[in-house]
Amino acid sequence: MKFVKFGICTALLLFSTTFIFASGQNEMVEESKSMDMMEPVTIEYWTSQTQTDRQSTIQLLIDTFEATNPNIKVKLIAVDENDVTSQMATAANSNTLPTLVEGAATTMVSFGADGLVDVDANADVINSIGRDKFFDGALKINESSNGEAYGIPFHGWLQGLWYRTDWFEEAGLEPPTTWENIEKAAKYFYNPSENTYGILVGTKSENFTEQCFTPIAQSNGASLYDKNGNLTFDTPEMKEALEFYGRLAMYNPPGPQTWRARDYYLQGKMAMFFYSTYIMDDLAIQDAAASSLTSENFSDLKGSQFDPELASHTAMVPTITNTESASYGTIVSLSIIDQGDSKKTEAAKKFIEYLYQPNSYITFLHMAPGGMNPVIKGIADTDEFLDNPVLSNYGKEALAEIVAGMQDIKSFGIVDGMKIEKADQVTAQQIIPQMIYKYTQEGLDIDSSMDWAINEINKLN
Amino acid sequence: MAVRKLTLQEKDSRLGIKLVLPSVIIIALLIIYPIFYNIYLSFFDVKMNGDAFFIGLKNYANVLTDSTFWSSVGITFFFVISTTFLTTVMGLVVALVMNKKFPLRGLVRSLVLLPYVAPVISTVYSWQFFFDPVNGIFMHVLVDVLHISQSRFNLISDPKYALWVAVVFSMWKAFPFTYLMILSRLQTIDTTLYEAAEIDGAGAIRKFWSITLPELFFVLGSIVLLRFIWNFNKFEEVYLLTDNVKVLSVYTYFKAFTGSLDLGQGSALVVIQFSLLVGLILIYVKKVLKW
Repeated sequence: MKFVKFGICTALLLFSTTFIFASGQNEMVEESKSMDMMEPVTIEYWTSQTQTDRQSTIQLLIDTFEATNPNIKVKLIAVDENDVTSQMATAANSNTLPTLVEGAATTMVSFGADGLVDVDANADVINSIGRDKFFDGALKINESSNGEAYGIPFHGWLQGLWYRTDWFEEAGLEPPTTWENIEKAAKYFYNPSENTYGILVGTKSENFTEQCFTPIAQSNGASLYDKNGNLTFDTPEMKEALEFYGRLAMYNPPGPQTWRARDYYLQGKMAMFFYSTYIMDDLAIQDAAASSLTSENFSDLKGSQFDPELASHTAMVPTITNTESASYGTIVSLSIIDQGDSKKTEAAKKFIEYLYQPNSYITFLHMAPGGMNPVIKGIADTDEFLDNPVLSNYGKEALAEIVAGMQDIKSFGIVDGMKIEKADQVTAQQIIPQMIYKYTQEGLDIDSSMDWAINEINKLN
Repeated sequence: MAVRKLTLQEKDSRLGIKLVLPSVIIIALLIIYPIFYNIYLSFFDVKMNGDAFFIGLKNYANVLTDSTFWSSVGITFFFVISTTFLTTVMGLVVALVMNKKFPLRGLVRSLVLLPYVAPVISTVYSWQFFFDPVNGIFMHVLVDVLHISQSRFNLISDPKYALWVAVVFSMWKAFPFTYLMILSRLQTIDTTLYEAAEIDGAGAIRKFWSITLPELFFVLGSIVLLRFIWNFNKFEEVYLLTDNVKVLSVYTYFKAFTGSLDLGQGSALVVIQFSLLVGLILIYVKKVLKW
């Protein structure tokens, strides 16, 4: 009996302390709202740049900002892009949301759809920088169906099919721009007994797989939804695209693969691979590539020597063509989170405007030359932007081509200029990568794989 | 009213309560509160902005009617039973060998512990490095040096082998603990028992079945129970090593934390997993250990 009473007392104590703690937090929020705008304020900035060297560059930018804005402190927190969704959920539930988040536009759209984003604050920033300065496509990809700004485009990368020009020339093959040429080359260079492979397409159930599949599906006219938001997944075009993708996957290195397998290309064991422009510094700078090699401890393994000529023997095909042409890329955006403190929101606005000033913007983009490309007009051809060893190595024209691609980035989420939020939820749930995994790795037949995906997509609505 | 003097027994019991109070509060905060909060969440549709809507048993209905849930229950049982069995047998065999005298025994005894004490992340990466289909030394030896296999294959990630790889990895990682426990018990068995058995004409096998095994019964029983609990909730090894062996904890993680989050359904899954585990432990303790 005593123990029962004791148990009840403990439980009551526990819940009352939790309650008091929780209500205290609310009071704190109310209190800070009414405080003067000029009071010192600290904002949390979640970045997806987890690498130490990139963080020190961002910190440098922050230090400069803080020197000129002594009342604002910016706390930089690195959150891996694969964890940001779960971290946001935890933060939302524990009332510790950050003020500012940086991440893929599709992620911002899913945050926006969940009601976490301060769309008015984002719109204010876009207007104060100048709406006409942004690439239209980049703005569009961040919007809700009603045109609300779920994110502010910050930088972006383009995906392409990178290939060995010297191998192609020697074999007398055409560049891999069409379905037919890609498959022919993949088959030609697939030589597992020599430990060389034709192509890398993603087959693990990860985002990379959807990134490889999207331009292939779109080049066949396949889409997830039509412009009215009706599901258009179950079409002969989508089925053909999946079949083609499955055939390409046969010329992959063994087993399920993801972006990591790009090392095999750097080691001279693969002819083609889908990858973003982030590979540019790995290809161009020997040190950067050497740090990516995983076989450096096994120097006697075939093909493990780094090829200093690799960059000059590599070209990128940005657009895949079958019945139509398609390219793929991602816009990385900033977004102000609706955390209930207008003072923090104002501070975040100020900080973002500072980040878009040419000097700080170019400093930011130079952290990953080639990977981070401007989404603001008139930056790419400035001398300041081109003043970088990797970028100058590729030259003004090649860069202009990449940046031009940024103006018209396509995704399943944009149909005929209309934003389809549901498509970004399909991406967030990784339904397409899972379907591809089932089809290419688990041996599920094509119809059952597509039925599985349709069933999962229907569960979302 | 006069204050009644406390009896010695009552004093004892009050002191006892005072002494355990700090631990009870800590346990309540760190264990009981999360458990109840988790049960509470399992009846709600939890939105990302923190809103929660009561939906009754719908989360449970969704979980129980999902075929992937049942396949993951099957995978979990296969994983847990096979790893528990293999770990125990392997631990027992190694302990019996290490109980014999041989040169450098001390060194070998410590080396055997290596997989258990090495951090899981480093062992997982060494396995992945070792078995990499294109650059790994295992495939190099198998295909290029010994010509045992004609073609290279992805031993760790291929869905055909992944579950088996997870089982072997788990056994390799965990058997030293079993070995350590059994060895320490073996060293306390009274040698006169064996001497008496020898006088009665018992051989090595007879001595093992009639003396060693009964003496080890409770140690083995506890080890099996612990291994069962640990491996039933095993997450990091399976998740890090292979990405397609959906044991219950990995399945729950994917449900609750990837893509669009479903914390409510994740909580329901955890409650089901917890109930399954508690039920199985009770049966085991009553029927096998007869405690």
